[in-house]
Amino acid sequence: MAVNASPSPILSRPLAYGATSLGILALAWVLATSVLGWVGPEVLPSPLAVIARFANLIVEPFAGAALFGHVLASLERWSYGVFFAIVLGVPFGIFFAWVPWFRAVVNPVFETLRYIPPFAWVPIAILWFGASTATQAMVVFIAAFPACVINAQLGVQHVDNILVQAARVFGADQLNTLRRVVVPVATPSIFTGIRIAISNGWMALVGAELVVGKTGLGFLIAQGQQNDSVSTIFVGIIAIGVLGVLIDLCVQRLERRLMPWQLP
Amino acid sequence: MLEPSATPKLELRNITKWYGPEGTGVLAVDDCSVSVQKGEFVCVVGPSGCGKSTLMTVGAGLEEATHGEILIDGKPAGKPGPRRSVVFQKFALFPSETVAQNIKFGLQMTNVPRDEQERRVQQQLEIMGLTQFRDSYPSQLSGGMQQRVAIARALAMQPEILLMDEPFGALDAQTRTILQEEVQRLSHQMHYTVLFITHSVEEAVYLSDRVIVMSRRPGRIKKEIQLPRDVAWKRGDIEQAAEHPEFIEARREIWALVREEIMAA
Repeated sequence: MAVNASPSPILSRPLAYGATSLGILALAWVLATSVLGWVGPEVLPSPLAVIARFANLIVEPFAGAALFGHVLASLERWSYGVFFAIVLGVPFGIFFAWVPWFRAVVNPVFETLRYIPPFAWVPIAILWFGASTATQAMVVFIAAFPACVINAQLGVQHVDNILVQAARVFGADQLNTLRRVVVPVATPSIFTGIRIAISNGWMALVGAELVVGKTGLGFLIAQGQQNDSVSTIFVGIIAIGVLGVLIDLCVQRLERRLMPWQLP
Repeated sequence: MLEPSATPKLELRNITKWYGPEGTGVLAVDDCSVSVQKGEFVCVVGPSGCGKSTLMTVGAGLEEATHGEILIDGKPAGKPGPRRSVVFQKFALFPSETVAQNIKFGLQMTNVPRDEQERRVQQQLEIMGLTQFRDSYPSQLSGGMQQRVAIARALAMQPEILLMDEPFGALDAQTRTILQEEVQRLSHQMHYTVLFITHSVEEAVYLSDRVIVMSRRPGRIKKEIQLPRDVAWKRGDIEQAAEHPEFIEARREIWALVREEIMAA
């Protein structure tokens, strides 16, 4: 309730800075468009015009759906892709770090695939799945998977060997050593990977939606361009940014809850 | 109580340890034999980098010796396990687990019955003065407290042998003194069988029944010194003990041996 009763001052200060910088940006935007008129509405619509368009898009369908429909469509594809990237990528990365022969065998393939941009997979995804949810989810997956793998792997590799020795001394088998010692200690790194995966996936999704699909925020932007509606494009862009931040905040909150031991 | 002829509780027999390929790698320990009788407190001292920690790691079963064998009651010791508990210099507590969970870890891994686990955790918390830190995480504790947890975790296993690898090396002087005295008190009460690695001559003289001096690298056994056992001066605090003629004499003798090795390096 009371903001200043927050138990963690580390949280509230960046929040204040963040609000300030966003406020300055908004102010500059108002000045440049509405007040001083440096840029015309066909280049950069005023905040008011964007807000009006936003309200309009919430109730009135555009490009096949209202704003909420596009958001849901994007979130759905994104969640499928990110879900599979995490569920497969994190264990893969842990296994990668824990079992040297596996790393030796798979690493060359993984490294090669990793440098292929997600969008390069769009044509083949369309051939495989058509213009469906699966196509976009696959692009998200490809964009998100490597970050999960690499950070889980790094996290496990950086676990102090003395902890592994201690686990052995106290009778832990491989599975228990991983479960009770190695994976928890690697969790901060795993979460870093998940956060990167989430934003990579989100960006790749919007890109994929620009190219293929009949709904989604990317599609909304593309249609805004087709219809010469700059304000629609801006609503789409801002929605993408805001949703991205919200998702990241949720993950950070989950991270803190999962790792109480990390706090000093 | 000690019969020299009895089978040692723990025996490191002719241990040689190479890191890297034999002959071209680094020879850390060269043909060292150490035996600890049941209920005996043995210290290994030597200059830094002499391989004493390697001896411990091998003795715990965490690394394979290149040559030689580790015996418990005269039989091959095999993999690390509940018969040998280890206290590490850097504590090695599991950071994501609370104090109580850390102490319970080994008991769970070795399938000690649940109520017995609870009982032993409670007992160790009390002995080590950790009751109020039961639900704290290691990162919330001072170094001295963390090492108490590590000792509690090792003792909760009720091991036959306790291996301690410079357990007080990372602590400040005051904390070290307090913990030395507590370990002294515990080992007098409980008659633990301990192999203790240290670079502190004072610590070795105060705590142990027998001191083994190692040479500089490659580590060899330079000399073994038998110390008086069950004497009054050892039961008091370490400052008092340090004033006793027997302590002073032993410290002088051992220091001279260690100094030779340091100077020759």
